[in-house]
Amino acid sequence: MTIFQFVASSFAFFMMYVVSIHFKKRNLSAAETSFWVTTWTVFVVMALFPNLLLGVVDVLRFGRVFDLLVVIAFMVVSSMVFINYFSHKELSAKLERYVRAQAFAELATTTKRKPRRKPAPAVGTRKRVTRKRR
Amino acid sequence: MAHRSQFTAARRDRLTAASVWVVVPAYNEATYLSRVLKKITAVTKHVIVVDDGSRDKTATIARRFTDQVLVHAVNLGKGAAMKTGCDWAFTQLGAKAVVLLDGDDQHDPRLLPEFVQLLGGKARLVCGVRVLSQMPLLRRVGNETASILIWLLFGQYIKDIPSGYKALTKKAYQQLRWQSSGYEVEMEIAARAARSRIPVSAVNIPTIYHDTNKGMTMLDVLKMISQVFSWRITI
Repeated sequence: MTIFQFVASSFAFFMMYVVSIHFKKRNLSAAETSFWVTTWTVFVVMALFPNLLLGVVDVLRFGRVFDLLVVIAFMVVSSMVFINYFSHKELSAKLERYVRAQAFAELATTTKRKPRRKPAPAVGTRKRVTRKRR
Repeated sequence: MAHRSQFTAARRDRLTAASVWVVVPAYNEATYLSRVLKKITAVTKHVIVVDDGSRDKTATIARRFTDQVLVHAVNLGKGAAMKTGCDWAFTQLGAKAVVLLDGDDQHDPRLLPEFVQLLGGKARLVCGVRVLSQMPLLRRVGNETASILIWLLFGQYIKDIPSGYKALTKKAYQQLRWQSSGYEVEMEIAARAARSRIPVSAVNIPTIYHDTNKGMTMLDVLKMISQVFSWRITI
C-alpha cells in the first residue's frame, strides 16, 4: 500500500464516520446513509485496487487511472457547486419572502389596518400569514 | 410647515399629498434615525421605516415618529428592506410614488418636494446626485466606474448610481422591481432603468458623510461588478 492509498482510504473511513454521526442525529435518512456509505466504500475500493478501473480507462482512452479520477472528481465537485448555488439562491428568496410576509402581518396587526390584499406571496407561509390575520 | 406646503403643491398635478410615501431602510441606525425622521416629518407625515433586523433600538425610535414601521426578523440587506417598504407602500397604503432615503442622515429631506415635482412631470425615476468632487477619492472612483459600466453595458449614463436618495412612481417600480437584497440594489435599479428606458431625472443633493466606515465595502463593490455582467444577460 502506498502513502496515497493510505491517506485516501483513511479519508474515506473518516467520511463514513461523519455519515454515521449524521445518521445518528437523524440528519440523514436510511436511504441517504446507504448512498453515502456505498459511495465512500467504492472510493476505498478504487483507492486500494486502482487496476479495477483499467478497463474503463481503456474504453474512455485516458492515459492513466489518475486522469480518470481527476475528471470524475472535477465533475462531481462542479455539479455540487452548481446544485448548492441554486439551492442557496432558492433558500435566500424563500427567507426574504417569509421575513417580508411576517413584517407585513405584524404591522397589519399592530395598526389594525386590514390589508388591501395579501402581502407578497411567501412560499410555504401563505397559510400561516392568513391564520395570524384572523 | 413651509416645506410641507411646498411638498403638497409640488404634486398638485398628478400626485396627491396622500399618495407619496417616504421609505427609509434602516439597519442599526439608532444614532442618526431620530434626527432623520425629525427632518422628514417636518416635510411629510407619510413615512415608512423598514428596520432590517437591527440589534439596536432602531425600531423603537422609528415608532416615536410613525406607526408605519416594518420590522425584518433577520437582516436581509438594503435591497430587501427597500423592496419591503415599496411593496407595503404600493400595495397596502395606495401610494402612487415613493421616495427612498437612507436612515444615516446623509440625505436632506428638505429636497423631497424637488423629487416629487420631477415625478409629477415626465420622470418616472428621480435620482439624487451628489457633488463628486466632495467625495473621498476611492468612492469617487467607484462611483464613476459604476456609471461608466452601466453606460457601456446598458447604453445610458446615470450619475451617482450608489446614491440612496431616489424617487420612483408605482409604474416605474413595477418595471424596476429588483432582485438584489444587498447594496448592489442601486446598481440593479440603474441597470433596469437603463434597460427599460425609463425616463430618469436628477436632483442635485449635498454630499454628506457621517461615518465612512459604514455602508459599502470593497467586497460589495466586487459583488456588484460581477452582478452587472450577469444582469446584462438576464435583465
